[in-house]
Amino acid sequence: MPLSVAEKSYLYESLANTPSIRPDGRTPYQFRPVEVYTDFLPSSNGSSRIIASDGSECIVSVKCKVVDHTVDDDVFEIGIDIANERDDSLIVESITSLFNNVAQGIDKENLRLTKRYSFKIYLDVLVLSSFSYPVSLISFGIYTALNSTYLPKLISSFDDLEVEELPTFHDYDLIKLELKVPLVFVLAVVKDNIFVDPASNETEVADNGLIVSWTNGKIVAPIRTIALNDTFTKGFTPKLLQEGIKLIEKYANDIVRALEAL
Amino acid sequence: MSEVITIVKGKGSFQQTPLSNDSRYESDDEDVYMSDSEAQQNNEDLAKSQIVTPGELVTDDPIWMRGHGTYFLDNMTYSSVAGTVSRVNRLLSVTPLRGRYSPETGDHIVGRIAEVGNKRWKVDIGGKQHAVLMLGSVNLPGGILRRKSESDELQMRSFLKEGDLLNAEVQSLFQDGSASLHTRSLKYGKLRNGLFCQVPSSLIVRSKNHTHNLPGNVTIVLGVNGYIWLRKTSKMDLARDSPMAGSSGSANGPTGATSLNPTQNVSITRLEEESSWQIYSDENDPDISNSMRQTVTRYANVIKALAYCEIGITQERIISAYEASMAYPNIGSLIERENMEALGADIINAEKMRGNGV
Amino acid sequence: MSRLEIYSPEGLRLDGRRWNELRKFDASINTHAHLSDGSSYLEQGNNKIFTLVKGPREPSQRSQLDQSKATLNVTVNITRFSKFERSKASHKNERRTLEIQTSLVRTFEKNLMLQNYPRTVIDIEIHVLQQDGGLVGSLINGITLACIDAGIAMYDYISGVSVGLYDTVPLLDINSLEENAMSCATLGVVGKTEKLSLLLVEDKIPLDRLENVLAIGIAGAHRIRDLMDQELRRHAQKRIANSSKK
Repeated sequence: MPLSVAEKSYLYESLANTPSIRPDGRTPYQFRPVEVYTDFLPSSNGSSRIIASDGSECIVSVKCKVVDHTVDDDVFEIGIDIANERDDSLIVESITSLFNNVAQGIDKENLRLTKRYSFKIYLDVLVLSSFSYPVSLISFGIYTALNSTYLPKLISSFDDLEVEELPTFHDYDLIKLELKVPLVFVLAVVKDNIFVDPASNETEVADNGLIVSWTNGKIVAPIRTIALNDTFTKGFTPKLLQEGIKLIEKYANDIVRALEAL
Repeated sequence: MSEVITIVKGKGSFQQTPLSNDSRYESDDEDVYMSDSEAQQNNEDLAKSQIVTPGELVTDDPIWMRGHGTYFLDNMTYSSVAGTVSRVNRLLSVTPLRGRYSPETGDHIVGRIAEVGNKRWKVDIGGKQHAVLMLGSVNLPGGILRRKSESDELQMRSFLKEGDLLNAEVQSLFQDGSASLHTRSLKYGKLRNGLFCQVPSSLIVRSKNHTHNLPGNVTIVLGVNGYIWLRKTSKMDLARDSPMAGSSGSANGPTGATSLNPTQNVSITRLEEESSWQIYSDENDPDISNSMRQTVTRYANVIKALAYCEIGITQERIISAYEASMAYPNIGSLIERENMEALGADIINAEKMRGNGV
Repeated sequence: MSRLEIYSPEGLRLDGRRWNELRKFDASINTHAHLSDGSSYLEQGNNKIFTLVKGPREPSQRSQLDQSKATLNVTVNITRFSKFERSKASHKNERRTLEIQTSLVRTFEKNLMLQNYPRTVIDIEIHVLQQDGGLVGSLINGITLACIDAGIAMYDYISGVSVGLYDTVPLLDINSLEENAMSCATLGVVGKTEKLSLLLVEDKIPLDRLENVLAIGIAGAHRIRDLMDQELRRHAQKRIANSSKK
């Protein structure tokens, strides 16, 4: 929905002010509240549904399969589907590639079953709707889905290179999957200010957007800029980048704590 | 509760509306048996209330005229929507529980230009169809006496373009229910100096006045269609609210003999002034202070909280909610669910206490 | 698969139901108030379905504009994770999906009073999160609920259910194991009448058995209508109680 010129300049001036005034009164480091459901798909190994306060919504399913990693060592696959977007549309492709990039930073050791076999994780993301750039939401969804994933417990031996045998599993015991995916944050830059989690009217006037990833107390790749709208894209100083990174370093732990506390 | 983010776990079933917090009628997870008696009984219980659902017989008395939400088959009138039955004189209609805004003549609405067409603008008013604003239904720069020319048709975008917000009145309705708007009054026109927010149109009650000056020097335009504009109070807004010196007639006596009524003079000059290009300007007031912006934001959050609690939105409620919200010095904390619920409960309770609620 | 006992001599099915029992049916409406004009979430057995209705609204393309009535579009998004085994390809442009969409449009075009909303478009968007047999029937129920929530005028409820025929026994509301093991028919029934607005028979069914199949199907669909009606009234009552605050 395009905004009027007067609206945009009002929003821009409010955000560019010192101190800035966000249209919903949040502080620069405050996220919008979200609601999360987990584990509602019995035919998936893990699942989550995450709803932001503006109605943006995303559903994540985790399914897994046992594969021979000596043949195929790609044990993590992400598919992203955005409602009302074609699979080959720009936004779907760019977000998919972003998350493939994020997935490279995952320590996949925990998926290893035996010397020959591994679990392969298939992550499917369905974005029902998004009123602002959805990557934060998707990343929170992926995090909670993996956090709710339980996989069968292996009972055969770990060393199966000598003896040819297929891994066998316990009938009903499950083990929680320990796989930490980096969280991805979106920041918006307006003049000399930077904010987390921009809402849709904030993205409309942002000078520039920034994606920062974070895992285990550290900022990790990918970090990059994104155009949040097509009209206002301007450059920004490296000082703001540092500020943004500091903001995430400082507050990402709170997010993780909140996500884990579910 | 963390200051950074609140993440709540959804309740078992996928329901998220605040309506849903009572227990479900489903008693167990058992398969449903093919017995009809239980359902029958249920229907009887509910029949006492005036809720009807699609396909339900409303009356077999042919005396009633069929209004919206009904259809007629073999002398029987059935409901076509889920809602409540209303009987006005001979007219029988069913009001749906939900639905898009449907315009009525005289409604004061806020809209957004969606399309610039041939001698007309298409305006998004949140209805089933865009409304139409004819070039002839707006005041053009140069005063009311000015004639429209071809050059006006060519420069329509310099008056109003895609995305622009305006308030207007529904002038008439077309056959298919879509609206034709006009802005031929000083209280209508392009909106500036503020923030837009949106609530379901069912929460706005039609009343005589939809523009209110609120404490804190903020003016609200409460569109009947649920589109709301919050702005800094302008001189115009103040003038509108102040008691009209001339209208009471006390100054000039009941005879009204003075033909050169001073107030009339003022309004005509003001009209002239306002009808200059300025009324279509995109520039905001240069001096909107920080505290003003904060007040606007607070009002916006308060309105969202009322909408979240599904409380009808009126001037009185906005003001009392605004005052109650002062208990939260951090405006950003008003987006949290608990706080919105608390605020909503406060308003309802306060009204009950004063005895004018319910 | 063939070793499984679809219908035991004692008259029990794989999931313990008898021949004339429905699966667990749980529906809620107005689940996505921010995204749509009407919405529903339906669990029919292990089918889990979101339905969003957007409109009636201004068409985004002129080509969709019909002077005499609303244009109805149905998109069915069957997610890749909806079955037990994740599918390798997306279901978006599969022929099966397109066929389902067309038959749903046909079913509802006649039931919704589209002539009340000329020059508009109504988009129905369905997301199948999980499927376990009898999908088309569940889609119908989801659409009916979401359209009522959106306040779109219609003549009556349409309720959908699938019936399988195991040897000579009709089985009501089949799941995917049963669906794969026998021939079946999907019905869309108008309200409490015996009128069918949809009948899908994709395998062979002996003609002399069809009547039995339809009879139990219609009875089951009526029961589903009542369940939907209950949920709707429950929701309506709450909404009215709520609005008395105004």
